[in-house]
Amino acid sequence: MKIVRIVLQLLVLYGFLLIGEAIQTLLNLPMPGSIIGFLLLFSALLLKIYPLEWIDAGATFLLSFLSLYFIPATVGVVDYGPLFSGKGVLLLPIVIISTLITMAAAGFASQSIANRSAAQKEES
Amino acid sequence: MAFTPAAIVFSVLTVATYVIANFVYLRFRKTPLNPVITATVALVAILILFDVPYETYMEGGDWVAAFLGPAVVALAVPLYKHRELLQKNLVPIAAGIVAGVIAGLVSGTLFTRWLGFTEELILTVLPKSLTTPVAMQVATTIGGIPSLAAVFVMVAGFTGILLGPYLLQLLNIDSPIGRGIGLGASAHGLGTAKAFEYGPEDASMSSVAMTLAAVLGALLSPLAAWLLL
Repeated sequence: MKIVRIVLQLLVLYGFLLIGEAIQTLLNLPMPGSIIGFLLLFSALLLKIYPLEWIDAGATFLLSFLSLYFIPATVGVVDYGPLFSGKGVLLLPIVIISTLITMAAAGFASQSIANRSAAQKEES
Repeated sequence: MAFTPAAIVFSVLTVATYVIANFVYLRFRKTPLNPVITATVALVAILILFDVPYETYMEGGDWVAAFLGPAVVALAVPLYKHRELLQKNLVPIAAGIVAGVIAGLVSGTLFTRWLGFTEELILTVLPKSLTTPVAMQVATTIGGIPSLAAVFVMVAGFTGILLGPYLLQLLNIDSPIGRGIGLGASAHGLGTAKAFEYGPEDASMSSVAMTLAAVLGALLSPLAAWLLL
């Protein structure tokens, strides 16, 4: 009964979310409860407290439609038309340039450090 | 979340539009036909045409958006499956993520500040390189506008797909780790789709980078907002 397993595992994911949100409220943390839930699930998997087989099917199913869940939010742009007809249109080049800076920094840092440690291994 | 007629109509409409948009994308496989873009344009057109306020639409939209939180939690599973790749390249991956996330947060905040945008808009631009579900929740947490944040996330993603390959070539970033981490940390899921075209190792790197950048970005965004505003 694959469908039952998926539904049960979705409930487990929802449980991790609720725990994450409870921790966020309780400790008044400035980060989303879902990220706390993510960290809890990842730790539970790493520490072998929770086996992969008990979450794999549900998580894979949920993530295969990931882009569906944020469409209602992107539709919200309908309320921000005037913003982009004025000065707000400058936000677009800002996002584009900042994205390229991010990519350059991340790609350059990871590649140069990977190359350096590979070179060190060859020397020793 | 209320169980109203509008809730039923608009949640079904959202899912149906998404299914059609996905079908069109799979049929033609052209980047500008990305289902998020086409479904959004179609739904916006319907709302304008029938004069439906966004608030009414969201009675149904909320039901669909309710899956965002559990989906963020579920990202732990693909990251766990890539744990060996992560362990083997821990230092270069960590260095790339930290450098990318900080560069993104600082440049985004400074540029918007220099041009004199309101604090609300600065906080909306801040999480643009994080995967959409995380970016929206971060925007909500720090006081930005989640739906607008989602739009900037899309702009960042398309920047990665369309301009990323030229930038990587220009900077001689030509290894799977450099390309994958660069694309994933800056352009999240869309960048990861692009990384697939370079090869499976690029794609795994990018997927790991997307998730780690989202987590680190969620942790650092409130700090960046506090430090830079």
